[in-house]
Amino acid sequence: MTLTGMKKHVGVLEQSGLVTTEKVGRVRTCKLGPRRLEDEAAWLERYRQLWDARFDELDRVVEELKRKEKVDGRKKRG
Amino acid sequence: MDGRREGEPTPMKKRATVERKSERELVVTRTINGPARLVFEAWTKPELFKRWWVPKSMGLCLHSCELDVRAGGKYRLVFLNEGSAPMEFFGRYLEVIPHSRLVWTNDEGDEGGAVTTVTFEEKGGQTLLVVHDLYPSKEALESSGSMAGMPETLEQLDELIVSLSASSRNSATSAGGSSPR
Repeated sequence: MTLTGMKKHVGVLEQSGLVTTEKVGRVRTCKLGPRRLEDEAAWLERYRQLWDARFDELDRVVEELKRKEKVDGRKKRG
Repeated sequence: MDGRREGEPTPMKKRATVERKSERELVVTRTINGPARLVFEAWTKPELFKRWWVPKSMGLCLHSCELDVRAGGKYRLVFLNEGSAPMEFFGRYLEVIPHSRLVWTNDEGDEGGAVTTVTFEEKGGQTLLVVHDLYPSKEALESSGSMAGMPETLEQLDELIVSLSASSRNSATSAGGSSPR
């Protein structure tokens, strides 16, 4: 990675609060910022899994409704 | 009538996606294998809603569920959790467009709650669901029950996920991996 690329990269991380940086002389030091990436990522993943579990059940309910509708349709048509 | 899919394995495991669209917005999407009118029915009829909103192994029991699905109508869900006080979730429907859109408020918190918008988009017999939560502030999103609070629920959720993945592994093994579920 080029120095310019690195600067850009760190800039984005800094803007999103994931790191803070401090420049002393020629050296810029990065520290983890107030936002913890792993916290948010872990939380989002858990939230996603909740919805996935929910939607798996919903899929089952809808599957059953589909089957029922098909049977009812057949009955109606005789 | 399209009957060819019955009994065929689901080609790929569908996965929900979650995105934090902004500081105040969370968006969940997933495709459900059925037409929008049936998905909408499952979302708006209490006896059907009860069957999927709380996944079975979550350890929470959805004790009662009242859904007055029309603009201005109210809903109320009461959960029972062994050893702790019942939890209530309630609010109002702001918008109801059959088979396509639901908007409701979440009024159980002390401060202003999120507004949830669900859209149902049918494509080729399947329905793309987009669940959009808009919180009044960044803080509200981050301190919402779904995010930081309710550690017990999250623990239960972890257990649920573990048991779900265990059972899906088991069924995959026992069926030689060819089972649709």
